[in-house]
Amino acid sequence: MLQYIIKRLFQGIPLLIILSLALFLLMMNLGDPIATMGGRTLTRPEDRERLMRQLGLDKPIAVQYLYWLIGNTWTKIDSDGDGIPDKNGTRLGILRGDFGTSLVTRKPVTEMIGERIPNTLILMVASEIVTIVFALVLGIYSALRQYSTLDNILTALLFIGYSMPVFFISLMSMYIFAVLFKKWGWPYLPTVGMFDPQVGKTSAQVLWHMVLPVISLSVIYFAAYSRYIRSTMLEVLSQDYIRTAKSKGLPRRQVVYVHALKNAALPIVTVIGLDLPFLLGGAVVTERIFAWPGMGRLFLDHLSRADISVVMGILMLVATAVVIFQIITDIIYAWLDPRIRYN
Amino acid sequence: MKRNLNILLSLVVLAGMILTACGGAAATQAPSSNATEEPSTSATEAPAPTEAPAENKVATFIWTQEFTTLSPLYASGWFTTTTQQFWNCWAWLYDETNTPFPSLVTEIPSLENGGISEDGLTITMHLRDDIKWSDNEPITSEDFRFTWAMTVDPKNTVNSTYPYDKVSAIETPDPQTVVMKFDAPFAAWLILWKGIAPAHILQPVYDADGTLDNADWNNNPTVGCGSYNFAEWESGSFARFVRNDNFYDEPAKINEIFIRFVPDDTSQTNALVAGDADLGLFVPYSETPKLKEAGVTIMTEPSGYNESWFFQVSEEFSHPAMLDVNVRKAIAMSIDFASFDRDVNLDVVKVPGSFWDSLPFYNDPAVQPYPYDPEAAKALLDAAGWIDSNGDGTRDKDGVEFVIQHGTTTREVRQELQAVAQQQLAEVGIKLEILNYDPDIFFGSYSDGAPVYTGELDIQEWSDAPAFPDPDIYYWLCSEIPSAENPSGSNSFYICDEELDALLQLQATQLDPAQRQETISKINQIFHDKVYWIGAWQDPDVWAVGSRLSGVKFSGVSPFFNITEWDIK
Repeated sequence: MLQYIIKRLFQGIPLLIILSLALFLLMMNLGDPIATMGGRTLTRPEDRERLMRQLGLDKPIAVQYLYWLIGNTWTKIDSDGDGIPDKNGTRLGILRGDFGTSLVTRKPVTEMIGERIPNTLILMVASEIVTIVFALVLGIYSALRQYSTLDNILTALLFIGYSMPVFFISLMSMYIFAVLFKKWGWPYLPTVGMFDPQVGKTSAQVLWHMVLPVISLSVIYFAAYSRYIRSTMLEVLSQDYIRTAKSKGLPRRQVVYVHALKNAALPIVTVIGLDLPFLLGGAVVTERIFAWPGMGRLFLDHLSRADISVVMGILMLVATAVVIFQIITDIIYAWLDPRIRYN
Repeated sequence: MKRNLNILLSLVVLAGMILTACGGAAATQAPSSNATEEPSTSATEAPAPTEAPAENKVATFIWTQEFTTLSPLYASGWFTTTTQQFWNCWAWLYDETNTPFPSLVTEIPSLENGGISEDGLTITMHLRDDIKWSDNEPITSEDFRFTWAMTVDPKNTVNSTYPYDKVSAIETPDPQTVVMKFDAPFAAWLILWKGIAPAHILQPVYDADGTLDNADWNNNPTVGCGSYNFAEWESGSFARFVRNDNFYDEPAKINEIFIRFVPDDTSQTNALVAGDADLGLFVPYSETPKLKEAGVTIMTEPSGYNESWFFQVSEEFSHPAMLDVNVRKAIAMSIDFASFDRDVNLDVVKVPGSFWDSLPFYNDPAVQPYPYDPEAAKALLDAAGWIDSNGDGTRDKDGVEFVIQHGTTTREVRQELQAVAQQQLAEVGIKLEILNYDPDIFFGSYSDGAPVYTGELDIQEWSDAPAFPDPDIYYWLCSEIPSAENPSGSNSFYICDEELDALLQLQATQLDPAQRQETISKINQIFHDKVYWIGAWQDPDVWAVGSRLSGVKFSGVSPFFNITEWDIK
């Protein structure tokens, strides 16, 4: 197994480098990061020329990529923007753990990502848990009561939920549970942020502020997950070994939750395993609407400003997570199903 | 198997709990020292209220764009420079009429009080002797010299060296005297000193690192000089500023300013309507009825900006029709900007007649916008020889069809105006091709081939201002025309008008306001008569003030000039 993991990790390295090159080339077409630096005031042309040199944006794409990848400590850079390289660079490059510095905030990218990841994980893990729990309950119920009235109603509702775009659910829930509830004098949910400044950032506040974004995120995913669980459960429940278990007189609870669910869980683990790395990337739309300070917003904010260092940092983080989580999923698969061997 | 699944599920739940605790548990305590540890009063009635200290006043402001730094040296962009007014200080502030008044100085230098030398090359400021940083260190002339030196030092990657690069030297004969030296008279000197940096904090950092680029103070200014002290900034989420009890002027009435960063106008509006915020800004005009209905007051303050149509007039690049001033007049008279502002901008703003519309002193005599008169426009076009000779609905002359291009950013309201203009110009026989670009592409550089520099856009649109509150402009200088030899030129209209050029250069050096007013008036009239520029709508700062706030006034230059007088009802 260890040999398998090492082999997969080594396979991932060239994959990530090729991916980084492709992404970097795409990033170069994002626009001019200096153009919007002054906000409403246009950046003065002479400042633009100086900044281009100081930030290394005047270099050819290949050189910029090289600096991003392996750093620029080995070569002289134009630190004062006068057109003459004057001292060695200080960037170490992503291969040495230096994701670079944001062109917008001048902060290290690792620091910026580090500030946002916990917020994103709080939201996304909570959504994932809510999704899985509700999907299991509804999926199993629908499978056991196939074509019952409630199953049909649930199926209809889930399809409605699944077909609604997340921005619509988010804005609608915000309007109903915050704006209208307040108008009607009912207890209402907060619209934006992670806590109420009058109270402070307490666990209770964060949980309270998570309600709407978690619901918005979960509705879509749990609609899809529950349909998936329903179909896998239906497939497993028709297997011979389930019939055997029933004929042996095992209690229904044991048949469903031990014999059926554990086998139905295997493909679900794969789906969850593939979804987990994207939790790091955050929910771009939901975070934006509810002003949740996560990775999705960081990505969008800096994408719109063509802040290549930050955008590349986030993309590479997610790409790396995809590679690692695929390996972890394979390992868990083998752990759950003894028939699977990777050697 | 069951055991394994249970362990897996437990780990997931545990991880969720730990993350919630890490991110949420008391990382930020209740806003001020006298707030309770546990959740007390919630605006959303959620976690059970206990007892809220009556004197703890927290005002929540909504910023739709997060500031990028807190350093006055590295600041650029409205949200960044404006936020500094809470915790940093300016040499002089501006009131609600945008009139300057002294803040750190005893009086504003002028020719009359001897602060400005006769030749205009020396300006002397006298500082108050009671001004101090939040750590009780006095603010001295050395702080001013240090701020200037660091801004123009090429070792610091500041966004803009302007206007400090106009100062050639600063002398500090004593701690309360700042003497600015200029190589040439610099009429716009009042735009200097919007924020200063503490030399006693940053000089050691510069000495050690050789640059201030990585100074912790840039994003964590523990020492300031405003009516509030910086307390905390969580990127993407919020920033807190607490009252500076050491402030050298009257202390603020509100204990804390809590700035919440939201991503867009919709979130801002919802937060204001739901009562989750006390102040918002740059509110879309379309949202104002909804906000007013919710008890939010809308206040507009001229900021110098006007949504502008810039005409490109170039023998080399422009459509031949655009070289005729009467044709440009016809275009101005073909578009009903007033109706657009009434119907789309809901009458919140008016059509500006002048680039200096929000500077009444310089817009004197006030220039009026061209009236909407399509019949007169048609007559002008006919007289200019642009007629529809081939019956295709578009005018032509000497075999050239009157098809021009209009380019702007992807902002929705601009696209709406483009559509209206296209239709109204078609009615007089002009075909308008409309183009839209992302701002970072549209405002790119000449070297990158940005659309405004390609010469392909006969009309360019964006919102712009003079060096407000100073009337200075430089785009139209002949020397600013970009080329391969001069790639940093900013004259994307390729207009070189010798009379205009001379006047623009003259006003930039006139330190006598009366003389300068006369020059700007001439420029103003040239802009109007030669139709180099027309305004679509005034673009003031639009503030949304929640019903809890009182004593609120705004300036278009230093918006929070009277923040210490603000209170919560």
